[in-house]
Amino acid sequence: MIPEIGYFALVLAMALSLLLCIFPLWGAYTGNLRLMRAAPSLALGQCLFVLFSFGILIYITLTDDFTVAYVAHHSSSTLPWYYKVTSTWGGHEGAILLWLVMQSSWTALVALMSKSLPWVLRARVLGVLGFLGVGFMLYTLWMSSPFERLLPYFPVEGRDLNPLLQDPGMIIHPPLLYMGYVGLSVSFSFAIAALLTGKLDNTWAKWSRPWTMVAWAFLTLGITIGSWWAYAELGWGGWWFWDPVENASLMPWLVATALLHSLAVTEKRGVFKSWTVLLAIAAFSLCLLGTFIVRSGIIVSVHAFATDPDRGLYILSFLAVVVGGSLALYAARVSQVHSEGRYRFASREVALWLNNIFLVVATLIVLLGTLLPMIHKELGLGSISIGVPFFNQMFAILIVPFALLLGIAPMLRWKQNTLSPLAKKWLVNVALSLVATAAWLFSSYEQVSALTFMATVLAVWIVFSTIADLLQKVSLQTSISEGFKRLGLSYWAMVLGHVGLAFVIASVTLTSAYSVERAVAMKPGDIATLNEYQYRFDGVKEIRGPNYSGHAGVVTVLKNDEFITELYAEKRLYDIGMQFMTEAAIDDGFFRDLYLALGEQMSQGAWSLRIYHKPYVRWMWLGGILISLAGFVVLADKRYRRRVKKEAQV
Amino acid sequence: MNRKILGFLPFLIFVLLCVFLYQGLFGNPRELQTGRLGQTMPSFNLPDLMDENKRWTEKELLGEVYLMNVWGTWCPTCIAELGYLTKLREQGVKIVGLYYEQAYDPDFGDHFDINALREEVDTMLSRAGNPYQFNILDLERSLALDLGVSGAPETFLVDKEGTILLHHTGDINQRVWRNKFLPVLEELQP
Repeated sequence: MIPEIGYFALVLAMALSLLLCIFPLWGAYTGNLRLMRAAPSLALGQCLFVLFSFGILIYITLTDDFTVAYVAHHSSSTLPWYYKVTSTWGGHEGAILLWLVMQSSWTALVALMSKSLPWVLRARVLGVLGFLGVGFMLYTLWMSSPFERLLPYFPVEGRDLNPLLQDPGMIIHPPLLYMGYVGLSVSFSFAIAALLTGKLDNTWAKWSRPWTMVAWAFLTLGITIGSWWAYAELGWGGWWFWDPVENASLMPWLVATALLHSLAVTEKRGVFKSWTVLLAIAAFSLCLLGTFIVRSGIIVSVHAFATDPDRGLYILSFLAVVVGGSLALYAARVSQVHSEGRYRFASREVALWLNNIFLVVATLIVLLGTLLPMIHKELGLGSISIGVPFFNQMFAILIVPFALLLGIAPMLRWKQNTLSPLAKKWLVNVALSLVATAAWLFSSYEQVSALTFMATVLAVWIVFSTIADLLQKVSLQTSISEGFKRLGLSYWAMVLGHVGLAFVIASVTLTSAYSVERAVAMKPGDIATLNEYQYRFDGVKEIRGPNYSGHAGVVTVLKNDEFITELYAEKRLYDIGMQFMTEAAIDDGFFRDLYLALGEQMSQGAWSLRIYHKPYVRWMWLGGILISLAGFVVLADKRYRRRVKKEAQV
Repeated sequence: MNRKILGFLPFLIFVLLCVFLYQGLFGNPRELQTGRLGQTMPSFNLPDLMDENKRWTEKELLGEVYLMNVWGTWCPTCIAELGYLTKLREQGVKIVGLYYEQAYDPDFGDHFDINALREEVDTMLSRAGNPYQFNILDLERSLALDLGVSGAPETFLVDKEGTILLHHTGDINQRVWRNKFLPVLEELQP
């Protein structure tokens, strides 16, 4: 009975969403204020019912109701309670329901926070969000209900959650990612509402900006944690695989990053309007496309999600309606848009335009690399595979001009600049970066390849340019403390974001260049040396967890006979699926990670072990966190909040 | 007028993309284009899984239509399809197992315990059903490599002359059997 209530709550939520889609849009079209005014309460209502439904799914998972197919397939009675909760989004149906939770919550949030918007715009934004909600709810109810029963024959025990997903990283990774995806649907709705209204002025950009920022920040955090999860859990020390599913989250991120920068130009200078709208549409479209790629199974991926052509067809139809419809609307309206501001070549406008070009090219590379194998095959040209080297090479080429530009752009002013005084500063920065990088790398490593050096210079250059610009701006004020105060949080956000990217570039470069690994067979007491560390194998002990058993290799790490740490590299056998899992032992450090994976048992008490030494790998996630912080910091910007208040009085 | 055309460009690109996505939906990416399709079984000389003195070659398999099923006890999908394969055996389909040991990697210096493996296979087959006439042990993965095996389970349909007619990736169930294998088999027996 309880699962049926959950299903019924979703039906009610969809009914409300349908009204949310029709009433305000019709009201805005006919100028009927009463219809428009219904939007916020409808938005809140559908959100409550979706949350209720999700609560029921959690409840039936916690109470081990294996008559429900979803619970039987993705949970088990021996699973710890927190993994039972996360199992509600460990499978397809639950993941889509989680998406719905996010979608309806964002919609409700927009309804609550948009009180100062003109009713015509507010109604349209909520109406578009309602339409998206209907699309996803219909999908859930029709094709992928998590409340389906297995009656009359149901199992006494569930099949357990995939061991790979039994990890803290997995608890937060999908919700963060979905927060990002769905958050971009808000930017999308603002763009569509603006197109419908026919007023693509900077008011629209101003309103869209904070929502885009938050969505982007969540997306950044989600991708970062996903990468960390792959590193900690997959057991071979990789952090990014250019897998279609990863690409599906990277593409919206790249476009959203471009959108952020473009929105700034549109808001402050009133130019790039139609381009910004197109980016807002593209960002969310790529989220939908990513969902389609991941969920329809048209591309083989290591993330083996269930494949079902009917589901794929639904998502594709939804994609065609949403994206096709908005692009058609865009095409119809774009010729009425006119830019207001004027600018010269040496201006911040052009620098940000170039930033957009690079990010969009990067997106196209990922899109082509992901879809080309399929298109190639459809054209009857046979199977090809596009692998990691292609992406790595393309991104290595793109990052050079991008990083150089990133150092220059913040120093440029709007409209126009005289370049010669700036050029002097840049030359000083280049020289400083070269010297600092040389000092850093040659003191740490015997061999430094030209490529490694160049890539590291880029990271250092970004940091130095950012600091130089910061100092310059502070020095314009009467005192240093006054200078720091007047910079404003959005400036600090930029600093955070750019420095974060520098950390990522440095980390990727140095980890790729200087990681070393050894595969060894060790008996208890044996010592293996890798770089400056000695690893003493102290034997293997049996372990027993709530739903698995296995072995843990105990390894003492020494450096010049000094104790550093003791590591437990585990190999687990999960009871129900009988699946083996390698649980790598990681000693994390700011400058290096020691990473240990236990292999097979060999003859005479020996075990095979893989030891990795990974310098600076942690900077990658540190960088990701810094970048996402940038998005959250902007929200606290007083300048922004004051403006909102002022408008509310009008 | 340029602006108008430019404005339609994203829409047109998207429509084109949709066409491909739609086709992709009904094409199967898991369908590998095995270089072996339509060719004869590669030659091999491998031991029986249960008896190292008995060795199998491709010649001994000639004269009968059979399925070669690549599997391992470590692979949950393989275990899941054992039941259906056993049903097929009861209907008179000849199924040969190609045992693919995942945990063993000779380059890594792994220790391999054949007796433990036999026991494991025995237990598994007596629990889930035994569809196999016999199992070939491909420890070095030479035959799997020659066949272009990319994982488990995979199944090859081979005719009397030793020609590979089908290469199926993933499990065999009633739907796959009816839609993919039966039409080919019916063509063999007019």
